Amino acid sequence: MVKILSTRYGKSSGFKLLLAFSVIILILALCPQFLPRFFVYLLALILISGLQATSLNVALGYGGMYQFHHAVFFGIGAYTVSIMLMKTNLPPALSFLAGPMVAAMLGFIMGLICVRLSKLYFGMLQLSLGSLVWIVVFRWYSFTGGDDGLHGVPVPALISSVNGSYYFALITSIVSLFMMYVILNSPFGRILQAIRDNPERSEGVGVRVKLHQLVTQVIAAFFAGVAGVLFVTVEGSAFPDLLSWTLSLEFIIMCLLGGWFTFLGPMLGAAIIVSLRTLVGVYTEYWTFALAVILMLLIFFLPEGVLGYFQRFSQVPDHSPAEDK
Amino acid sequence: MRKGLAMFVAVVMSFMFLVSSVSSFAAGEIKVGIIDTYSGPPSSYALDVLDGFKLALNKINADGGVVGQKIVFVTRDDKFKVDLGLTAAKELIMRENVTILMGTINSAVSLAVSDLAKKEKIPFLVTYGKSSNITGAKGHKYVFSMNENTEMIGKAAAIGLSNRPFVNYWIAGDDYEYGHAIADAVWNHLKKIKPDVQLMGQSWWKVGEPDFTPYITSILSSKPDAVIVATGGAGCIPFLKAAKNTGFTSKVPIYMHTGTELSTLRPLGLDAPEGVIGTSNYYFYYPETPENRIFVEEFKKAYGRYPSFGSLIGLYTANFIAKAFEKAGKVDSEKFAEALSGLTIDSPVGKLTVREFDNQVMLPMFMGVTKKAPGFDFLIATDIVTIPADELMPSIENIKTIREK
Amino acid sequence: MDFSTSITFNGLIQQFLIGLSRTTILFIVSSGLSLVLGVLRIPNVAHGSLYMLGAFLCYTIASFLGASSLGFWLAILLAPLVVALVSLAVERGLFCHLYDREHLMLLLFTFALMLIFGDIVKAVWGSEYRSLSPPEVFQGSLSILGMPFPKYNLFLLCVGPLVALALWFLTQKTKIGKIARAAAVDRDMVAAVGINVSWVFASVFVIGCYLAGLGGALVAPTQNISQGMDHTIIMEAFLIVIIGGLGNVWGALLGALIFGLTASMGILVWPQFSIVFPYAAVVIVLVFRPKGLLKATW
Repeated sequence: MVKILSTRYGKSSGFKLLLAFSVIILILALCPQFLPRFFVYLLALILISGLQATSLNVALGYGGMYQFHHAVFFGIGAYTVSIMLMKTNLPPALSFLAGPMVAAMLGFIMGLICVRLSKLYFGMLQLSLGSLVWIVVFRWYSFTGGDDGLHGVPVPALISSVNGSYYFALITSIVSLFMMYVILNSPFGRILQAIRDNPERSEGVGVRVKLHQLVTQVIAAFFAGVAGVLFVTVEGSAFPDLLSWTLSLEFIIMCLLGGWFTFLGPMLGAAIIVSLRTLVGVYTEYWTFALAVILMLLIFFLPEGVLGYFQRFSQVPDHSPAEDK
Repeated sequence: MRKGLAMFVAVVMSFMFLVSSVSSFAAGEIKVGIIDTYSGPPSSYALDVLDGFKLALNKINADGGVVGQKIVFVTRDDKFKVDLGLTAAKELIMRENVTILMGTINSAVSLAVSDLAKKEKIPFLVTYGKSSNITGAKGHKYVFSMNENTEMIGKAAAIGLSNRPFVNYWIAGDDYEYGHAIADAVWNHLKKIKPDVQLMGQSWWKVGEPDFTPYITSILSSKPDAVIVATGGAGCIPFLKAAKNTGFTSKVPIYMHTGTELSTLRPLGLDAPEGVIGTSNYYFYYPETPENRIFVEEFKKAYGRYPSFGSLIGLYTANFIAKAFEKAGKVDSEKFAEALSGLTIDSPVGKLTVREFDNQVMLPMFMGVTKKAPGFDFLIATDIVTIPADELMPSIENIKTIREK
Repeated sequence: MDFSTSITFNGLIQQFLIGLSRTTILFIVSSGLSLVLGVLRIPNVAHGSLYMLGAFLCYTIASFLGASSLGFWLAILLAPLVVALVSLAVERGLFCHLYDREHLMLLLFTFALMLIFGDIVKAVWGSEYRSLSPPEVFQGSLSILGMPFPKYNLFLLCVGPLVALALWFLTQKTKIGKIARAAAVDRDMVAAVGINVSWVFASVFVIGCYLAGLGGALVAPTQNISQGMDHTIIMEAFLIVIIGGLGNVWGALLGALIFGLTASMGILVWPQFSIVFPYAAVVIVLVFRPKGLLKATW
């Protein structure tokens, strides 16, 4: 880890960075001791949304793909684990693993159909396919609970309490984030960004663009499935809203808001949106208006998202795409 | 990057403490948390419930409250979404420390919050969610239903329809759980009472479907005797409008739950179709008892409109809450739940009881036919037939069997 | 799965005609979006909000002028104009500074607009259903082949081709149309020739939004006017524009036809799952013709 950070930021900085991360993780780990129950729950939600948004960004910000319906993989992960926990007697660990696996499989299938297209067309096709999946989930009452959803999912007692689910979400997200970070900074990740910046030239150099994009889809879908599984442990429910296109749009907003050319941007975007939604919602039903105004201000003044803006301060060589405009 | 990270953490943390943990309530108050859909079309029902609730609450608090404390409430908007509803419920329980929860029109949210209520042992009174699972398959000690559910609707409608000469039926409706649940309940019970009824076909459109004409024409071409229209809050009004415009109702009789109810007929005004058969749990003009008249007058004085069923629900829910706390003797969730189960109160429509077995309130249903009437700028129900509560309550045996599965 | 057993020829024609009248609204709204997306390259998610605004305005104007026929016609005329004015204000005030931004940022921006419009509509008109009747002359239905066909839908069937012709004339035969088409392909070159690209864009945007408002105003008498109208129409409009070909008005017509007809005919074939057909059609089109059926501008 130090090595990766060092190659990017210089040796001493790399070490200091790792220290900073450890401090943050320590604070997050101690949160349940001093924060009220509701805020622990909120933090868990933020971690889940952030993980989902980061997985989306693998395809969107790093891969340059118009990932318009990423919520499908999130929802499928949630439904898989819920159905397996409720209807089978298999050990819970298996159900938890099945969630991301099924999501990854769906990512593979949908990817096979979609990667033939690019940009807006890719996004639209993904939207249509995702909608078909949503329709199936919505109508198959006997299997998926239809639009009533599945509630009272028997999550193992250790991780179903507020603190338990929080720690589970914390550990899982940190591990997942770490894995994604390693992947994105590996040669694979570099090629992916090259494809994002200039697909034709990459093709010309011998890179198999479509194959890389397909693999990216599978990876993104896998971690979305993880987020979906975490959602079920925290909320104990799965419902069709988790696969809606409006939710997909929300996740895109989180990425754009936080800064889609940074790794932690989506997590920040998720934090802002979830907090705003919950806490401003206490005071007014027009919290969407407040959110919209903030978004507009951001677009005018901080086009690279919040974290992108903050990064300017330290003038770190970030990895924004080199696009000719 | 370091500075970026520091800012990132600072921003996150500051958001957490942006709103302090001070709750909206003061000490010495009984706190009720209401989750409902206050945005979009379902909000008219939610606001009806809230108005009735406030009307009763004002009187209760003016009389000194219950067990020496006033009852106060806060509302949260779930925007008809389950994840928002769940988060709101957790926020109300953990941050606002409410003693009881109330709400919502969305059955999925009701079920999700009911599950949460079971875990947290907080009583939850469902005001408008109509899934029979709420008090049936998924019922438990802490959840109570203050309105009718799809089983009850099915039984009542079947009783009413069996007295009419229709044999060949068509079923149509909103393609979601509520629509299918009503259709199945009506059909299964109808078939039991009158075995010679036949189902010719079914049409299901997506919730929020804007254009019913293609469905209406395809149903008409099959020439059924009658159509059972299983629409939910979003679909009733637009469907009736389309039915009138296409002349559907003058060709084939239709039955719709809430087809005769004020919430459905009032927005349509004099454009509503006549001759629609509908069931409803409340008419402000029937039965003409003194209690009902007083309620209607007070409501009209306070809000400038006639009360719908939703407002009645809000009113008696408040009264149930007050009486249950009185019976419990103190502000305690456990005792409240025990007191409310099996409780009877007086209401504008007579005595109402919460059935002890499943915590389901026992409501009579009224079937009528829409017709224009002088003095009102909306249609009302005529030829009203009452189906008493005990004839339409879900069977205890059935619920026991389902719960054991 | 149970197929309808009574598919008669009359029923088929009937469903076909119904599908066409639904197509009209879809076409009008989608053509507006196609123009905006094709020429200005703005993925305007708020297009649906303008449609909803058009419907609400139509309701308000018609109610204000009394339930007469004149009131209705004035409403149909005025509502889209008001929407166009609003869009002009938004364009001059906000959009014109953002033309050089990334598509996704523009998406984010229009998403924020959609939220804002949604809340404004909620604040001004409240959350209740609104119901508007068509004017006397269009109330009731005609009997076509023995089936009732609402007169208002017939009206829509006539309006559709009229709008299509008007748009064709505008884009192909007028100077502004030609400039707009050129700017869609290469805006820098158009600027280099000395044309004020900014005003060209503004005009196209306003026309596109006018169409959204017109669609909303026309649909108002046939359905519920409520919040949520923006969400349902926008996804359909985007899909139609994509399968038709970006920036191509005839493409929007073709896409709307496919969408509207698969939806209405699907009801005859598989009533329970008829909502699947339009989406399946979109998937099929995109798999075989990834850039849309007709020529796109980018």
